[in-house]
Amino acid sequence: MTAVSRIADIQIFDQLRTQATGLEASLAGLQAQVSSGKRFQTADADPLAAGQVLRTDTAIGALGQYSSATQFGTSVLGAEDSALGDAVQIMTRAQEIATEQANGTVTASDRAAAAEEVHGLLQALTSIGNTELSGRRLFGGLALDAPAPFASPDSAGYDAATAYSGSTQGFEIKVGSAPSERVRISTSGDAVFTSSLVALQNLETALRTNGDVAGQITALQQGQQAISTEQTSVGARENQLQTLQSQQSSLTLDEQTTLSNLQDADLASVLSQLTQGQVALQAVLQAGAMIAQTTLAGLLKL
Amino acid sequence: MAIDPTLGIAAHALIVDQAALGVVGNNIANVNTPGYTRQVPVLSAASELGGGTFHLDGGVLLQSVQQILDPFVAKRLLAAGSDAAQKSAVSTQLTALVSQLDDLGGSSLTTLLGGFFSAAATVSNQPQDTAARQGLLGAANALANEFNRRSAVIAQLQQNADAQIVGDASQANNDLVQIAQLNDDIARELAQGGQANGLRDQRQQVLTDLAQKIGITTQEDPTTGEVTVASAAGPVLVTAGTVVNAITTQPDPTNPATLGGNTLHKVVLQAPSGALVDVPAVFASGEIGGLQQVRDGDLFTASQNLDTLANALATAVNAVQTQPGAVDLNGNPTTGVPLFGGTTASTLTVLITDPSQVAAALSTQPGDNQNALALADLASAVQAPLGGTFSGYAASETARIGANAQQAQDLASASQGVLQQVQSQRDSLSGVNLNEELTNLLSFQHAFQASAQVISVVNSTLDDLMQIVT
Repeated sequence: MTAVSRIADIQIFDQLRTQATGLEASLAGLQAQVSSGKRFQTADADPLAAGQVLRTDTAIGALGQYSSATQFGTSVLGAEDSALGDAVQIMTRAQEIATEQANGTVTASDRAAAAEEVHGLLQALTSIGNTELSGRRLFGGLALDAPAPFASPDSAGYDAATAYSGSTQGFEIKVGSAPSERVRISTSGDAVFTSSLVALQNLETALRTNGDVAGQITALQQGQQAISTEQTSVGARENQLQTLQSQQSSLTLDEQTTLSNLQDADLASVLSQLTQGQVALQAVLQAGAMIAQTTLAGLLKL
Repeated sequence: MAIDPTLGIAAHALIVDQAALGVVGNNIANVNTPGYTRQVPVLSAASELGGGTFHLDGGVLLQSVQQILDPFVAKRLLAAGSDAAQKSAVSTQLTALVSQLDDLGGSSLTTLLGGFFSAAATVSNQPQDTAARQGLLGAANALANEFNRRSAVIAQLQQNADAQIVGDASQANNDLVQIAQLNDDIARELAQGGQANGLRDQRQQVLTDLAQKIGITTQEDPTTGEVTVASAAGPVLVTAGTVVNAITTQPDPTNPATLGGNTLHKVVLQAPSGALVDVPAVFASGEIGGLQQVRDGDLFTASQNLDTLANALATAVNAVQTQPGAVDLNGNPTTGVPLFGGTTASTLTVLITDPSQVAAALSTQPGDNQNALALADLASAVQAPLGGTFSGYAASETARIGANAQQAQDLASASQGVLQQVQSQRDSLSGVNLNEELTNLLSFQHAFQASAQVISVVNSTLDDLMQIVT
């Protein structure tokens, strides 16, 4: 290009306009960064980062969901753990009674009293089996507002072996993205309590009918074992959920850091750019005013 | 003897200087007129003034008032204008698409997809809770509404682009008519010995406007001053005072890119006989070209991809909701009770209004949540038609549309830079510089004063002579 030897007035003012509007646009962009705290406001400003922001947002949302499921699971398993602990106590007491009453020296009235106590234990264990947490049957598939899964020992024709009528469906929560990342938080009342209930009912019957009390001890031990085994499993799953929860918080923190790196404006730098831009705009406008004054018309007394 | 010619020379110089001052005045008056080409009076010394025995040089002549311009720069300016208008149209449309989809603002599709699957996960935790089920339906409705909104936004942008194409085509045709008329006017003025400077500037402005609509080439006849305008793709549009091929539009119901409810138009040439000639290449550049590119390309693709996502979502969610064994809150099979209706973004609806109809269970056991878990699992499942997850696809689409807009903005900014560069070259040569004009003003003013002084001196010499005689 040949050297420009001549400048038209329209060029001077066009250039002034272009520079001033360009600076004003960049100032507006910087101001938007300051007011929103975000480096870009629309996807066209940084498409790659915009896509990543959305993916990270999705990941944070999913982690939030896993975390709330984990919390829910922890509270359910905690309640189960404590209820199963109570159940173990009941079975321990039942074995004590059976051992005492198996002794040949006990009287008929002792046995009657013991039978009453065992009946109370049967009621208590049934009641544990029917525990509700926020309206949901802890040992009945976590069904909401459902009828008691275990029939009352005082109901007509009670048979401990068939007392359970609740759900046999396991209840799982989703704690990760893959379909396999699920944790069972339900405990089937049928599987856990029925042998104990049967053992208690048999013990009560033996006490009332002066039957073979000693012969019930093994069944009581087996029932308690089933409950203890489940309690151990519940405890293990509680631990698993606690570990997951801490992983989830740490992952969420990582994702939030990623998100922040992707989209947060560097305020210190933006503010300094804003100041620089304002100075530049002032300079351009001042230069324009000075150029506008340097016309021959101003110097001549025409 | 020599007195008479001197008076004549001075008197003529006064007229020439006045005319020159007029030219300077005209330049000054048009200092800010876009497209104005500065003019200079071309003066020459008259060779000889006839009569008598003396041979005296004959004063000054105003030969012509010449426009200072470079025809090559003018042509480059038209080409740069076409290119800048095309790139700018694409950039404006794609930027509008990004801003109206508002992915990083309040209406992100990924956020709503996340909300939907999160609501499904909440149902899996509380399968019998009506509030949780209601939450899922609410999230489904929000998602369907956003799909509908996006589809409408894209269709509306396509409609707007089409309306702008129709308007541009009509404007371009007006330009052709004006150019033909100005060709006539210029030829007439030149035939009468004039220079038609103002008319040329006017015609150049119309050509500039036309070039922004469609790419053109121009060829000026040096004798008649008439310009022949042809499309950059070949066909002649205007020769002399005749519009050879007019520009018009007609509805194009077969355009495969047509989005719901829109009627798109095709820009065609129209011969004086009235016959329509479809030459797509003529309208592939300029603003019309850019608008067509967005209308039939980018917007259509965005709409199709949105439909693909909506359809994949409805299909996958309904497959879970209606799978064999799935039951609602009351234990009734949901085989015939899909959650979503519609197969496109614009038609996507939520069919279920009763929250109990959401199939959370795969058995009639109370509290079963197996189907709600299956629904929640869809969030991170790779969908064959999408080649990824729902939200991953939506995020990629945001990035794709954003990248296209960014690229269009960069191209627009580059072509604008080229246009400014050429414009600056043109202005540098043809634009008015006030200081230069003021200097010329002084120079002609002084010349005028001097010539007046010559008359005054001649007059006083004549007086002296008269006194001697009397």
